[in-house]
Amino acid sequence: MRLTIKTAVLATIFAAGLTAPALAQDTLKLPNMSYRTGPFAATGTPHMNGQLDYMTMLNERDGGINGVKVQFDECETGYNTEKGVECYEKMRSEGALVTQPWSTGITLQVLPRTNVDKIPMYAPGYGFSAMQDGKTFSWAFNPPTSYWDGASMIMNAISGDNLDSLKGKKIALLHLDHPYGKEPIPLLEALAAKHGFELLLVPVGMSEMQSQSAQWLQIRREKPDFVLMWGWGAMNGGAITEAVKTRYPMNQFVSIWWGAHEPDLSLVGDQAKGYRALSWNFADSDSKLMQDVKKYVVDAGKSQINQAGGEFDTTAYQRGILMSVIMAEGVRAAQDLAGTPNIDREQLRGGFENIKLDDTRLAELGATDMMAPFSTSCANHTGHAKAWMIEWDGSKFVKVTDLLTADRAEIDPLVEKAAAAYAAANQPWPINDACTD
Amino acid sequence: MLYRVAGQFKTSYQADYALFPVRQDAWLLVFILLLAFVVFPMTANEFMFRAMLTPVLIYSLAALGLNILTGYAGQLSLGTGAFMGVGAYACYKLVTIFPEMNIVVAIFLSGFFSAAVGVAFGLPSLRIKGFYLAIATLAAQFFLVWLFQKWAWLYNYSASGAIQVPNIKLFGVTVAGAHATALTQYYFVLCVVCVVTFLAINLTRGRIGRIWKSVRDMDIAAELVGINLMKAKLTAFFVSSYIVGISGALFVFLWRGAAEAELFDIQLSFKVLFIAIIGGLGSIMGNFLGAILIVALPVLISFVPGLLGLPIGAAMVEHLNVMIIGMLIIGFLIVEPHGLARFWAMIREKLIIWPFPH
Repeated sequence: MRLTIKTAVLATIFAAGLTAPALAQDTLKLPNMSYRTGPFAATGTPHMNGQLDYMTMLNERDGGINGVKVQFDECETGYNTEKGVECYEKMRSEGALVTQPWSTGITLQVLPRTNVDKIPMYAPGYGFSAMQDGKTFSWAFNPPTSYWDGASMIMNAISGDNLDSLKGKKIALLHLDHPYGKEPIPLLEALAAKHGFELLLVPVGMSEMQSQSAQWLQIRREKPDFVLMWGWGAMNGGAITEAVKTRYPMNQFVSIWWGAHEPDLSLVGDQAKGYRALSWNFADSDSKLMQDVKKYVVDAGKSQINQAGGEFDTTAYQRGILMSVIMAEGVRAAQDLAGTPNIDREQLRGGFENIKLDDTRLAELGATDMMAPFSTSCANHTGHAKAWMIEWDGSKFVKVTDLLTADRAEIDPLVEKAAAAYAAANQPWPINDACTD
Repeated sequence: MLYRVAGQFKTSYQADYALFPVRQDAWLLVFILLLAFVVFPMTANEFMFRAMLTPVLIYSLAALGLNILTGYAGQLSLGTGAFMGVGAYACYKLVTIFPEMNIVVAIFLSGFFSAAVGVAFGLPSLRIKGFYLAIATLAAQFFLVWLFQKWAWLYNYSASGAIQVPNIKLFGVTVAGAHATALTQYYFVLCVVCVVTFLAINLTRGRIGRIWKSVRDMDIAAELVGINLMKAKLTAFFVSSYIVGISGALFVFLWRGAAEAELFDIQLSFKVLFIAIIGGLGSIMGNFLGAILIVALPVLISFVPGLLGLPIGAAMVEHLNVMIIGMLIIGFLIVEPHGLARFWAMIREKLIIWPFPH
């Protein structure tokens, strides 16, 4: 009898001891605004699967980040800005540490509010290029690299690092007629004026993404020396099919990273041979990182990916994984700085400013050569990771260049101007003058 | 019993023409206004304001504008979204060109721009009717959205091609822009909606409203009794586009904070048209009921799986939501083809004669 009472008391204490820290230890709420429905679901879904699966893997393998589980909820927007407002408010009221808008339209709405609501915005590889200026955009982060970096790297690559060689040539920008697609125009216009090439803007409206015959007729007539593509969703597949149809030389057709999407290219297979895309990531299914995701998430049946369709090996899915890798590094940095695993928004902001993904860290993560090393700072919210030019060989993408560098001397003055203009249009806008580096 | 009208005598013409001849209707309105002005602000959180209350009011206003044209004057329009856009872009230009301008003045002025555009696109209504007119307004929809994209002056040549609402103060309180609180914006929208609704009720039951209705019911007969069709149709386009324009300005300035041209796409026109149809064409209250069903209900439904603890993914909830709302729309329209407003009117009728139905 006595023994049982003793056991019961002990068990109670033990149970209390177990549950108490579990109560104190909250979860890290890092929700995502997803679009698995709507016109951009085709490219959205693999990225969102990747983001989600890496966080699931951390929860399964390590029990979260430094012992705190990650709660990676999704709020479906369907790329609809109206849903974006709803999701932003919902997540914020539920105590989200970060907002991931996943659409330039939603970014536009959320960006001015990040300062007021004091919530970090994480827009990996998208959003405004000017967000690199951490002094002006204290709460916004777009690592590892921005669109202006991308545009500069593409121009360097196609001109053989000598932009003057493009003098008198014609370069077309086939872009989605949307804030996102217009993003590289200021930089390309500045470069065109300086180096004497002609920039031809070919916008594609949201409603004509799948039938771009008018645009490609124009390209056929104008015969540009290069076509750069800033597309998303159904637009990329449509453009590649039209390019094949009009027999545009594939080795003159270069896309930004979102165009590195295997399903769009496997439709035309060999005919798209020579198509290039600038990508800040490179798929490597045999890496330790991807093998861990496979072991803990995919094989355990906890992933939503289309395994039969080979989604696991796609650049888009693995890019999604890396997006979460970068965010998890931000969280880790925040935890180290704060000295506690349970961080708040302000601490996470500090963490995002201290991401150090060097070669050693990438090797530890098992992601060597999947992306280039970079680091962020108070004044540099982008990190400016370098990127590769990858080429479609008829069945898969292969790296065809070393890591490319963006021309900072061209970009930084533009960033400064754009950031100042943004702050002026949104007065009162706080400037973080404490930033020096 | 609740709605007993016995004993409420009308002894003068004035009493007979009162806005609420039945006392209970007035009480009901007082109750709703109390709810809107006192109870909601005290109980709702920021999410409720930004995701439900403010959008419902703004969409109701847009539907009200469309209802004047389609429901009262019988002119079918598919260009509501674009007219909202005209109001929003006009307000943006006014605010950026004259930063000192009072935001209330800017919003009410911007309505005139969309009214002018509305009248211009309403001119074909003098010659064509029904579906043909709908196609003419559809042209307005596509043309205006194209214009919003191509005319860089409209968005002050910003690189993104989108308009961003600056922080605007009214009597020392920020009402628009990122620094405005949800509560201020809600009150602002509520006041504008109340004023416009009051004017609309009186307009539609007065001389002009009767002219519109006669044109809607049979335009040849209306012409024979001496109604100037051109004037009647164009005033309907003017008033309707004016209200739609105001709602567009509120839509961007008091709620969204930023907008790109695609926002005013045909999807928006359809949404407003659905609200007007489901609420009930030719009624004022229907717009509010329709907006609650189309705008607020999906938000509420998306919480249900979480509350019940059902493990459903975010995308699946969205799919289910579309299906449920679709079924509800069809269901309501089968039960009452004249919309939710008529549904309420029937309930009210039953309540008045209860417990002695005849």
